[in-house]
Amino acid sequence: MPDLLIILLAGLFLPLFPLSMVFNALLDRIQHPWLRSVLFIAWPFNGLFILLYSQVNLPDWLLALALSTSALYAFRMLSLREVNQWNQFLATSLWSLLWLPVMQDTPPALLYGYAIGMSVPLVLLAFLSAGLVRRFGAAYTGLTTGLARTIPRYSGLLVTVVVAAIATPLFPSFFIMLHLVVDSLSVMPLVAMALLLIWLLWSWAGAQLIQGLIVGRASDIKIADMGNTTITLYSMVLIALVVGGIILGGVIL
Amino acid sequence: MTLSLGRRLSIRSMIYVAGEQIPYFWPMRTFIHHNPLHGLEDLPFEQAVQEGKRLFRGHVFLRRPVYQEYLQQGKVNHDDLTAQVAAFVAKRDNIPGIDLQQWLMALLTQTEQKVVFRHNIASDADIQAAVNGQQLPQEDAFTPATLVPYLRHELLGDRPVYDAVDALYGTAIGAELDELVIKSCLDFFDEGQSVWSMPGRKRGFFRAWREVANRNIRLYLRGMHIQDILAADDTPEGVIAHVMSTLGIPEDRWVHYFTRELAQLHGWAGFIRWRWNAKNYYWSQRYPADLIDLIAVRLTFALALLSERGRKDIATTVSEIEEAIEGNTMETFLRYELFGKRIVPAMARRVEQTLARANPSRTKKVFHEYVECKRQHEAGNQADRLHRLALRVDQTETLESLSPEGFNDLLDSLRLFERYEGMAWLRAMEAQAISTLLSGVNPAPPEPRKKRPFVQSLFCIDTRSERIRRHLEGVGDYHTYGIAGFFGVPLSFMELGKGSEMHLAPVLLTPKNLVLEMTVADAEDVHPVTALEKAMHELKESVFGPFVTVEAIGLLFGFDMVGKTLMPQTYNHWRKRVFRKKRSTHLLIDKLDREQADSILRTVQRAVIIMAIEQDLDLEAERISDDMVRELREAALGRHSEATELASTLDISKQQEREFVLRLRDTYQINAAYTQLQMERLARIGFSLDEQVGFVSQALRSIGLTRNFSRFVLLVGHGSSSENNPYESALDCGACGGNHGLVSARVLAQMANKKEVRRKLRTQGIDIADDTWFVAVLHNTTTDELELNDLDHIPSTHIFYIDRLRNGLLAASRLCAQERLPDLQIKPQHREPAVAYREVERNAMDWSQVRPEWGLSRNAYMIIGRRSLTRDMSLEGRSFLHSYDYRQDPRQRLLENIITGPLVVAQWINMEHYFSTVDNERFGSSSKVYHNVAGRFGVMTGGLSDLRTGLPSQTVLNKGMPYHEPLRLITLIEAPLEFAQNAVESVVAVRNLVANDWIRLLVIDPVKQIVYTYNKGEWDAQPLSDVKTPSLAKESITP
Repeated sequence: MPDLLIILLAGLFLPLFPLSMVFNALLDRIQHPWLRSVLFIAWPFNGLFILLYSQVNLPDWLLALALSTSALYAFRMLSLREVNQWNQFLATSLWSLLWLPVMQDTPPALLYGYAIGMSVPLVLLAFLSAGLVRRFGAAYTGLTTGLARTIPRYSGLLVTVVVAAIATPLFPSFFIMLHLVVDSLSVMPLVAMALLLIWLLWSWAGAQLIQGLIVGRASDIKIADMGNTTITLYSMVLIALVVGGIILGGVIL
Repeated sequence: MTLSLGRRLSIRSMIYVAGEQIPYFWPMRTFIHHNPLHGLEDLPFEQAVQEGKRLFRGHVFLRRPVYQEYLQQGKVNHDDLTAQVAAFVAKRDNIPGIDLQQWLMALLTQTEQKVVFRHNIASDADIQAAVNGQQLPQEDAFTPATLVPYLRHELLGDRPVYDAVDALYGTAIGAELDELVIKSCLDFFDEGQSVWSMPGRKRGFFRAWREVANRNIRLYLRGMHIQDILAADDTPEGVIAHVMSTLGIPEDRWVHYFTRELAQLHGWAGFIRWRWNAKNYYWSQRYPADLIDLIAVRLTFALALLSERGRKDIATTVSEIEEAIEGNTMETFLRYELFGKRIVPAMARRVEQTLARANPSRTKKVFHEYVECKRQHEAGNQADRLHRLALRVDQTETLESLSPEGFNDLLDSLRLFERYEGMAWLRAMEAQAISTLLSGVNPAPPEPRKKRPFVQSLFCIDTRSERIRRHLEGVGDYHTYGIAGFFGVPLSFMELGKGSEMHLAPVLLTPKNLVLEMTVADAEDVHPVTALEKAMHELKESVFGPFVTVEAIGLLFGFDMVGKTLMPQTYNHWRKRVFRKKRSTHLLIDKLDREQADSILRTVQRAVIIMAIEQDLDLEAERISDDMVRELREAALGRHSEATELASTLDISKQQEREFVLRLRDTYQINAAYTQLQMERLARIGFSLDEQVGFVSQALRSIGLTRNFSRFVLLVGHGSSSENNPYESALDCGACGGNHGLVSARVLAQMANKKEVRRKLRTQGIDIADDTWFVAVLHNTTTDELELNDLDHIPSTHIFYIDRLRNGLLAASRLCAQERLPDLQIKPQHREPAVAYREVERNAMDWSQVRPEWGLSRNAYMIIGRRSLTRDMSLEGRSFLHSYDYRQDPRQRLLENIITGPLVVAQWINMEHYFSTVDNERFGSSSKVYHNVAGRFGVMTGGLSDLRTGLPSQTVLNKGMPYHEPLRLITLIEAPLEFAQNAVESVVAVRNLVANDWIRLLVIDPVKQIVYTYNKGEWDAQPLSDVKTPSLAKESITP
C-alpha cells in the first residue's frame, strides 16, 4: 500500500485535519455513552496499529499538520457549549499529538499507554455527560448552571474528570505532555511552544466548561445526585489513572 | 451639542426620580441596616415585593420546601393557612368534581416544585390532551407573527438595550459593562486603599473619568471609541441625552430605563446616592459625585460596547431590535430561546448550529420543529406536574375527565394561587409567631415593692439585650429597662487622638452637639510598638515596599499569623499587654459660654503666632513678649493698624511687618472669618444645662423610670468585638450609627450624675436619690461581657457594693453565653457557664471565625411596654424591647418619639434580615469567605463585583438553610387602643408602614385585657384570655 494511503488512513484514526471531520461527524451521530466509549478507546489504537505495523516513513510536514490540528480543535473548544462535542474535540486535539511520539520512534507499548492514558478520562466524561443529559435534558454549559449546589457529588466528579482530561498533574496526559515538551524543547523549541499553547487552550476551555456548569444560580428543582456505588467506581478509575500517571511519569521522564 | 439649562435640569430630575427606588448604602465602617425595598415602602407590602422582584430580579419569599419544613416544626400556623386557602377558594368559581381547597392545600404542603409554570407555546388544550395521554391537537393557527408581541414585551420595554442584545446574541456586554463601571467606580471612590488614585478627582466623577477614558489606550485597542461619544457634549447630561437618542429609546421611557440601569449595580448606585446626599461626608465634599455621573459613565461604556459589537452585524439599537423582531421573527425567537436560556435542552445544539449557519430556509425548518418540540415539552411537563398533584389528592380520574372549561379554571386557579402563595405562608408564619408571643405575655401590673432594687439597668432595645436582661434579672435584685442605645442623646463624638467626628445617633438624626474626649494625662511619645505597626502598614501600602519587606520582615507577619491561627486567645491576650491600653479620659459635655470660647480661641491663636514668629522670623522665645503677640493678633484680625512692637524689636521695615501680618492671616488662619468659624465650631461643643436636663428627663420618662431609683443605675451601651470582620459595625449599635454605644452611655451617665441636673429634674417630678450613681457599662455582644466604666469617678460610699455588682454581672454574662453557645457550635453541646463564656470569647478573637455571633438574626418582635409584660417569658433574643409606661405619657409624646425613631430603625433591621434571608445572593451579600474590602468603604465578592449591600450568608443562614426566620416586624404596644392609634396616626411614616403592612401592629390594652390586631385598615379585637388559641387571619390571598 502506498505510504500516502497509509498516512491518510492513520490520519483518520489519529485525527489530522481535514480527516478529523470524519471522526467528529461519526461521534455527532453516536450519543450512546457505551458506543462512544468503545470509539474513544479503539479509535487511536487503530491509528497507532496502522502506523506501527506499516513502518511507513513519515514526512516532516506531518508534524506541523498534527500540531495545527491539535491547536485548531483546542481553539474551537473555547466556544463549545455541549459537553459531548467538547469531549470529542478534546479527543481530536489530544490524539493528533500522538503523531509526535510516533515520529520520535517511541516504543509501541509506551505509545499504546499514551493512548490509554489520554482516552480513559474521555470515557469517564462521556458517561458523566450522559448522566447530565438524563437529568437535565442536555449537557450544555450556561443552560444548567449551579450544579455544585444541585448535585454536589456529581459536580465534584465532573470537575476531577475534566481536570484529568486536560492534562493536569498527576494524570497520565500531564506526564505525556511534559515529556513531549521537554523532548522537543532543545531540538525544536517552536514545537515546544506550540505544545504549551495547546495545553493552555485546553486548560482555558476546561475552566470555561466547569464555569458554565458548576457555578452560577442553581435550580430549585431537586435532582438525584450520584449514588455511592457509582461514585466509588469512578473514584477507583481516577485513582488508577493517577497511579498509572505516576508510573508512566517514572518511565518516560 | 450643547444642552440648554432646562434640558439638563430635566435629565437631572429624571435621574433623581429614577434613583428613588435604589436604597442607600452606607459605608461599612458604620453599617446601617436598611430595607432594600425602602424606595417602594409607599406601596403595600404585597405589591412592593412584586415590584422589587421585577426590579432587582430577586426572590421575595422563601422557597416552598422551607415553609413546609417550618410547618412541620410548628412555626407556621396550619389553621391560618387553611383559612387563607378557604378565603381564596370562596372567591373562585366552583369546578365540578374538584375539591379546590384540597388541591391547594396539597399544593402548599405536599408539593415541592411549582405546579404551574409559564408556557408560551402550549395552550391549555394541549396540556389537557397531554394530561389525557392523547395526541396534541393540530396547531394550524400558530404563525411566527403570534410571537411578535411576546418578543416585544420581553426584549423592549424598560430592558437595557445591551441586556436585550445579550439575550439575543449570547454576547456578554452586560457583564463587561458592569466590570468597566465597577473599575471606574473603584478608581474614583477609593478612600485610601489604593496607593495610586485617579487623577483630577476633585473635579467630580464624570469629569475625572472623562479625562482618563479619553486617553485610555486599552479601551481603544478593545475597539471602544469612547472619545467619539464623549465628544458629543462636555456635560454628563449632554452625554446621557446623546447616548439615549443614539440607542433610540423614547423619552417617555427614560426614567424607567435609568432605574433599570441603576438597579444593575444597586450597591454602587446606592452608595453614590447616599454619598450625594451626605453633604457633610468628608470624601463626598472632597471628591463630588452623583447618580448623573454614574449614569453618564455607564451609558457611555454601554454605547461604546454596543457600537463595537454592532460592527459584527448584530442589532444594537431599539429600532434594529424591533426590525429583527418584526422582520426576522423566527430567527429572533430561536435566538431568544437559546441565549435567553429558555430553550428545550434537547434541541439546544441543533438550534445553535442552525443559527450559526444563518441559512433562512434551514432556520424556518428548525423553527417549526422547535416550536412543535417546545409545545410537546411544555404540555408534557405541565401535564406531568398536574398528574402528580392529582395523585396527592387522589383525583387523577377527575382531572382526566374535566371539561375544557373546568380544566382551564383549574389551571387558572392554581396559577393565581401560586403567584400569591408566598403571602399565605408569610401570614401563617406571622400568625404563629403572634400566637406564641401573646400566649406568654402578662399584662397584670407588677407587684408593688417596699424597697428599691439593688440595681436598675438601662439596656439598648437591641434583640441581643433581651437574653442578658433576662439572665441579669434572674441572678439577683436587678431591674432592667429597654431604651434606644444612644439613650436619646444624639451627639457627634471626637475621640481622643482622632481628627474626625463620628455621629452617635440613628442615621435619621443629624447631631448638633459635639462631645470631645480629653485626658489630663501628659501627652506621651508614640509607643514603640504602635510606631512599628504604623511603619509596617506604610511599607505594605507603598508600591515598591512589598518587594523588599517580604524578604526582610515577612517572618514577623508569620509569627502574627501563627499566633492568631493556632492560639488566638493566648496570643490576643499577649498582644493586649504589649499594646498600650487607652488612657483614662473625660468627656467634655458642658457647653462653653462666649467668654470661655473666646479665651480658648485666644490662647490657641497666641500659641500659633508664637510658633509663626519663631519659624518665620527666627526670634527666640525669650524675646517674644505678650504685648508683641497681642498686637500682632489684633493686627491680623484687622483691629490694629499702627506699627507693632515686633518692628522695633527686630528692626524690620513696615513692608516686612505688613507681609508677616498677611502671612498670619493667610497661612496661619489668624483672621476674622476663620475666628468666626472657630467660634461657631466651639459653640457646638457640649450641651447646655437645660439640654442636659431635657435629655436625662426624656430618657427616664420614656421608659417610665421616674422614682424609686436604685443605688446603681447602669447605662449599658453595647458593641461587638471580632477579628478580620468587615461587618463588625453591623454587629454594633444601630441606634449609635453603627458604633459602640459606650460613649452615649458615658455622656448620659455624666449628665445624670450632675447635681445641677438632678436639682432641675426634681422640679419636674423626677426625684433621683442622692446616693444614686449612674454607671456606664459596655455590653460586648460577642462575648456577653459586661464591663463597668469610669469607676474612678464613683463615690467612695459605693465602692463596697462593687464586688456584688461585678459578681452579678459576671453570672449573667456566663449564663447568657451558655444559652447562646449551642447556636454557634457546629454540633450543639451543653457547656457549663464558665466554659461557654470562654468559648464565646474565643470567637471574638479568632480571625478565621466567619460567625463570631448571630447578631440580630431571628428578630421578629418589637415590644413597647412595661418589662413586666414579658418578664416571665423567654423571647430567645428575638425581640426589640422598649420600656414604656403610657400612664406617664399623657400627651403621647414619648410614644410618638419611640415609634418615630426606634420602631422605624427596628423595621429597617427587620427588613434587612428578611430580604437577606429570602434571597441572600441578590439582597444579601452572599458568603463572607469570598469578600474583599473595596475602597475601605464596602465589600465585593471576589476581585470585582457590585458592592455587597445586605447581610452575609453567615449572618442569616445556617448550613444553607435560613437561621433567621423571615417575618415582618410584629409590634406590640401596651396602651389603650385609642391612645396607641392616635400616636400612630400622628407619625405619618409609621402610619404608612402600618397601613401598607410593612409592620404587623398589635395593641394590648392592659386594663380591658384585650388585644387589637391591625388588619387591612381595621382593628380586630380579641380578649387576651382567648388568645391562647391563635387568631385566624381574616386576610385571603389576593385573587
